[in-house]
Amino acid sequence: MTLDLPSTREEAWRWADLGGIAAAAALTPITRPDAQFLDLPGAKLLFVDGVLDDAASDLHRVCVGDLTPGAHALGKRATRGWSLHLDAQAVAHPVQVVHVATGGDNHVAAEIVLDTDTSAQVVETFVGAGWSNRNTRIRLGKAARLMRAVRMTQGAGFVTLRDEAELGEGASLIGTMLAAGDQGVRIDAAITLAGEGGYAEYGGALLTRDRLKQECAVRVRHAEPNGQSHQLWRAVAADQSQASLAAAVEVARHAQKTDGEQSLRGLLLHRTATVNLKPELEIFADDVKCAHGATVGELDARALFYMASRGIPAPRAKALLTKAFVADALDRIADETVRAAFAADADAWLESAL
Amino acid sequence: MLKIENLHAEIDGKEILKGLSLEVNAGEIHAIMGPNGAGKSTLGYVLGGRPGYEVTAGSITFNGEDLLEKEPHERAAAGVFLGFQYPVEIPGVSNVQFLRESLNAQRTSRGEKPLSGAEFLKLARAQADALGLQQDMLKRPVNVGFSGGEKKRNEMVQMGIIDPAFAILDETDSGLDIDALRIVGDGINRIMRKPTKAVLLITHYQRLLDYVQPDRVHVLADGRITRSGGPELAHELERQGYAEVAA
Ligand SMILES: Nc1ncnc2c1ncn2[C@@H]1O[C@H](COP(=O)(O)OP(=O)(O)O)[C@@H](O)[C@H]1O
Ligand SMILES: [Mg+2]
Repeated sequence: MTLDLPSTREEAWRWADLGGIAAAAALTPITRPDAQFLDLPGAKLLFVDGVLDDAASDLHRVCVGDLTPGAHALGKRATRGWSLHLDAQAVAHPVQVVHVATGGDNHVAAEIVLDTDTSAQVVETFVGAGWSNRNTRIRLGKAARLMRAVRMTQGAGFVTLRDEAELGEGASLIGTMLAAGDQGVRIDAAITLAGEGGYAEYGGALLTRDRLKQECAVRVRHAEPNGQSHQLWRAVAADQSQASLAAAVEVARHAQKTDGEQSLRGLLLHRTATVNLKPELEIFADDVKCAHGATVGELDARALFYMASRGIPAPRAKALLTKAFVADALDRIADETVRAAFAADADAWLESAL
Repeated sequence: MLKIENLHAEIDGKEILKGLSLEVNAGEIHAIMGPNGAGKSTLGYVLGGRPGYEVTAGSITFNGEDLLEKEPHERAAAGVFLGFQYPVEIPGVSNVQFLRESLNAQRTSRGEKPLSGAEFLKLARAQADALGLQQDMLKRPVNVGFSGGEKKRNEMVQMGIIDPAFAILDETDSGLDIDALRIVGDGINRIMRKPTKAVLLITHYQRLLDYVQPDRVHVLADGRITRSGGPELAHELERQGYAEVAA
């Protein structure tokens, strides 16, 4: 198939693994893997190769049908999917979406629209093999709050996410991503704080091994004053893998009193692995506070020996240190059940990678 | 219990230990004193198996087994404990978790049942109390933000929990005020002064030895034991300095 994606000569795609996406789309069918929902109330959606499995789903307030495709190179491919629209004052239980891929490519769109003062929680899980591509459009009204957590735990293939979010006055978006499978990943996001006093946290952990490539390419735009954004990303790269974190903050001329934070940290489990970091600031206002840090390192040899001297075998000691390294990023998940599930995925990855 | 013969060890190709021999029997506490840079910490690290510390000649047997054959964590499980001169900070890993992992890893490798969370917490609290370490420091990340004295007490709390057969304590007294010194000294006696156990106490000063009476005192200078004697040797060193005594 022709991918019809931008080339890696384009700056925003420089670390993209186009070959990996093409290979994932060409994966031969596998038997449908087991997929489980977390033990939480609320809507449960099971998509198999991009098609809703009615019998296994429970939609509650969620609708499934045709959606307007986006304009983005990844987003435009998805024309059908799910949507959640909460009117003012409505409440909703968490929405769980499980995406199962059994080879080939699949594309799903989603639309989350929260009106004034509403709040929602969305948890998404990717399993299986193939190229799973998602386009998620989020619109948050005044003081609306969305917590979204996505874990990518496919056994093979690729997951690409294109997220587009627009936050109204005093709205809050907390997005936490975890890549802990054996798939390539591109998390491509554009988040706009379009109302005054918006709050966005968008970050997570990429755990990569073998020859896989995982990346985030995120741009947060402060269009109005008094906004706050935090982009906290952790990348752990083993073997000959490559993890790339590109996070940009853009502050428009009149978006005064913006507080933007970027913390990008990479951990190389082996010297043969690569971590690329690209923090980017484009500030056109003069009264802003933007902190950014970007570091790449290895596990602390002194700490490893200290732990060994207390009886902890090397693989376990490495797992504990690596877990501590990614904990900051995953601790942002407020719901305890969800947080525990994500921590368990990260643990499982570490146990097998080390 | 521990027998070191003609030990030569180097770091980055530089020989630090140059034919060191030492024997410690069960029930004994030996003090090792010596000038800065003599190789005292190096001896501790070699016993613990720290990567980069290469043994080029000689042997170390522990309870009749070749200690050098074992990985660092296996040495711990065999009963060797190393109290660090500079305890390491581990951000993001709590003291409680670190110690429970340590103890249970050792227990598992010895074929014993791991302790439950509750059992472990009870043990940890008792040891922290005995060494005057505040309970909330158990929950904090390992050694992060601890004062020098708190780090040393934490080493002793770890020793109390792990209950090793043999401890190498590297300048556990440095950074302690006089009250803390007594508490730590009492802790060493309580945990280690047993007929089945032994201690190698590395120190600069006589003052810890006022609390923990050594059976033997050795002077380590330029990578070798240059003199050995009874407790009176420590007093002689304190009066006359290493240069005089070790020569
Ligand atoms: N990592 C290292 N690389 C090279 N030389 C070292 C290293 N660590 C210690 N040394 C050297 O080894 C010698 C002994 O050090 P050490 O065992 O720490 O002495 P002590 O504990 O008796 O003060 C010193 O000369 C020191 O400079
Ligand atoms: Mg020393």
